[in-house]
Amino acid sequence: MTEPSVETKQSKNKEWEPKIIAFLCNWCSYAGADLAGVSRIQDPPNIRIVRVPCSGRINAYFIIKSLTDGWDGVLVSGCHPGDCHYISGNLVARRRFAILKELLEFFGIEPGRVNFMWASAAEGMRFAVLVRKATEIVKKLGQNKKFEKKW
Amino acid sequence: MDEKIFAKKDIGKLLEELVPEYKFYAPTKIKGNIAFKEITDVKEIELDYLNSKVPPKDVLFPQKEIIFEYKYEGKDVIIEERKDLEDKILIFGVRPCDAYSFKLLEDFFASGDFQDDIFLKKRENATIIGLGCNTPRQSCFCTSVGGHPFQKESTDVYLSDLGDIFLVEAISDKGKSLVKKLTWLSDAKKADVDKAKDLAKQAEESITTKFNFDLVTKVLDENFEHPVWQEISESCIGCSSCTFLCPTCTCFDVIDENDEYNNRGRRIRIWDTCQSCLYTLETSGHNPRPAKIQRCRNRIMHKFSYYPSNYDCLGCVGCGRCITACPVNNELRLIIDKILEIEEKSGEKVSA
Amino acid sequence: MVKSMGLETENKEIENNLREIARGLLKEKKVDVIIGYMEGTLPLLSQPIIIDSEEDVEKLIWNNLCYVNLAKYLVPRVPKFVNPEKGNLTVGVISKGCVGRGLIHLASENKINLDEIKIIGIPCNGVVNRQRIEMEIGEKEILEVSVFGDNIIVKGKDFEREFPYDEYMNDLCKTCKIRKPPLVSKSLDLCVGECEEYSNIVDDFSDISEFEALTPEEKWNQITEELSVCTRCYACREACPMCYCNLCFVDQNKPVWFGKTTDLPDVFVYHLIRAMHMAGRCVACGACSLVCPMGIDLNKINRKLEKIVKERFDFTSGLDPDVLPPMVDFKLEDAQEFALEED
Ligand code: SF4
Ligand code: SF4
Ligand code: SF4
Ligand code: SF4
Ligand code: SF4
Ligand code: FES
Repeated sequence: MTEPSVETKQSKNKEWEPKIIAFLCNWCSYAGADLAGVSRIQDPPNIRIVRVPCSGRINAYFIIKSLTDGWDGVLVSGCHPGDCHYISGNLVARRRFAILKELLEFFGIEPGRVNFMWASAAEGMRFAVLVRKATEIVKKLGQNKKFEKKW
Repeated sequence: MDEKIFAKKDIGKLLEELVPEYKFYAPTKIKGNIAFKEITDVKEIELDYLNSKVPPKDVLFPQKEIIFEYKYEGKDVIIEERKDLEDKILIFGVRPCDAYSFKLLEDFFASGDFQDDIFLKKRENATIIGLGCNTPRQSCFCTSVGGHPFQKESTDVYLSDLGDIFLVEAISDKGKSLVKKLTWLSDAKKADVDKAKDLAKQAEESITTKFNFDLVTKVLDENFEHPVWQEISESCIGCSSCTFLCPTCTCFDVIDENDEYNNRGRRIRIWDTCQSCLYTLETSGHNPRPAKIQRCRNRIMHKFSYYPSNYDCLGCVGCGRCITACPVNNELRLIIDKILEIEEKSGEKVSA
Repeated sequence: MVKSMGLETENKEIENNLREIARGLLKEKKVDVIIGYMEGTLPLLSQPIIIDSEEDVEKLIWNNLCYVNLAKYLVPRVPKFVNPEKGNLTVGVISKGCVGRGLIHLASENKINLDEIKIIGIPCNGVVNRQRIEMEIGEKEILEVSVFGDNIIVKGKDFEREFPYDEYMNDLCKTCKIRKPPLVSKSLDLCVGECEEYSNIVDDFSDISEFEALTPEEKWNQITEELSVCTRCYACREACPMCYCNLCFVDQNKPVWFGKTTDLPDVFVYHLIRAMHMAGRCVACGACSLVCPMGIDLNKINRKLEKIVKERFDFTSGLDPDVLPPMVDFKLEDAQEFALEED
């Protein structure tokens, strides 16, 4: 619909920063993000985290709804394949993401808007690095305007 | 002579003169379909057309329409009413059946305890320029519902297509004052008027689809529970094309679009259709029209039985859109045949 | 594709054969009812018809205007397919390739019990792209359509035009590799008429490569232009044999996920998510596009879906009722080139 949250809005002396919604699996990536925090690893402040029980919980609706709500990017992170707390949640999810990613591209949405990654609870560093990477990709794409409605 | 004429190539002049005052809607081609859209450039106007895919009711009762907008200011909610309802609208080139549909729409939106201010205001501010049909289609049956391919009554200004020129007749008071303002129109000759009459006669004769709706209404009223409805609904896939493209269908759904990030929102109405399973779904989960049999029946009953009893006229203008739109060819002519067969069969029984 | 004998002869042959099989099945009581196509009352259309007696067999036709995917009528079963006392009747389905695929795929989703149907296979020679012809004829009334030789002949009051069938065939039929219904080896008496065993279907998907090469911006422009006239009537959904949900995501209102208006973002999202739901399920019948009253072309999207599941999961829908559809299945070694990795 329109721009969510306020703090990262463009101001005169700061360059534009994207707003990214991150769906993190409770058992790994969320813990990884936590670890990154306690280890005082710098990661970009662009993401807003939604904790989910498993990456298998992520319906394509969540991702597309985030885009229609005006988030500039969506990040999904789960346990490494093979390590899912529910054994195969992320494997089913991975197929879903593959399709969604290709379809978004086919429909003309820049594929970089939506990113997927795996990070375990022990990988605080990896988590920070990949979040930075995702942020840079989205930043390059600029604001997400395609889903904006006219008022 | 009261009738006027103007050359088709002067349509630009008409547009130019009326655009400052009116939102000028006319048939145009969009992705291969004829549609009534607001026109600013004469090149967009398409004069050579049978009829539009989506009926011109879309101008006054669009698929999506904002009812009002609201915003939050502190603890208050401030409602902003529509400001464009006073705009004057002109719809050019409306076929007689569709022109008549505006009367049916008005009947509906003005009836009951609550009036639909948005529609009625727009209707009041709208001027309809009708255009007679020289070439009715196989699917046209306006003459069976009290209409005519050259019917003028529901228009404000009425045009006949005489090849290179339009014959102009002012019908309503609104139309008369409009025509008076167009000082550059020339007077029609008797030959023009006669030609229009000939065309009208030819057009009427070329209509092949004919129904006896008095009988249909009677049979419908007596056969709500007849097994024929099973047969009628058998092949229907519930695609809603017949209702979405119907010029007299009035059903809509109301939704709120809440933009919580910007403390604002709007109430919207969008077309709805009795062919959808959601249409009658109640909050409890009960659905009084759970299957296609009830939904198909509702469409036919509404147009040919409920309308006659509520408004004393048929709820159909004979444009034939539902006939051509149905992808499984479950078309009105076949449906009516099946309904009338009930009567024939019972007649046979009585006489036997 | 079109054999030299001429479409009209070819169609007659198909028609005669399917009538003969239908008659036999009804006579031997191998089926209770048969669903097929019959002559339409308008040019460019046919009508689905359900028959239960040998006399009516003559009504069944084949004429390249048989668009609807008849599998639609089995999920849920129309009332004529259910006997109040006996329960589900055995239904013979006149099946072009994609109808057969539809039935088999629906069986893999446990929506159809294949023991209760018979696939009456025909060697389909495609259906006409009716919207394209209508649009090219434009604002003139089409009064008669027939096929002759390699052409579709369209007549009106003062015009007659020939359209080469190869070109004016429905786009999905042009690339179709499964013209006869797939043979289900485990239940051989399911298929009567012409069915075929398929292995290693080769498809280069070159028909969409031009579109795929466009930039995101160009793709966006083309797709949104195509969708701009959508009225959200949902005919595409209602005609699709795979859209059998009791409550479609667009209709859900607890919570409301996506907008229901005809604003472009809302229309776009409807089609995007419907495409998502068709991955590995679409059987390439083209019904969705052929029924669209606005003539919107969804075929490209369906081709892309076929391509994705073929390339990623080596899956072709509607071939084997015992193979799990790809979106409810997984492999540890599935490709994940799209996942972010550290440099
Ligand atoms: S039904 Fe046909 S002939 Fe009659 S007014 Fe409408 S378009 Fe013209
Ligand atoms: S157009 Fe035909 S198939 Fe669609 S809802 Fe109407 S009667 Fe049913
Ligand atoms: S059938 Fe066509 S107009 Fe109707 S919802 Fe589907 S794409 Fe839109
Ligand atoms: S999406 Fe379209 S082509 Fe695919 S199965 Fe459904 S109706 Fe057929
Ligand atoms: S679009 Fe998706 S949710 Fe809607 S009916 Fe089709 S499969 Fe079901
Ligand atoms: S529990 Fe982490 S992805 Fe399933």
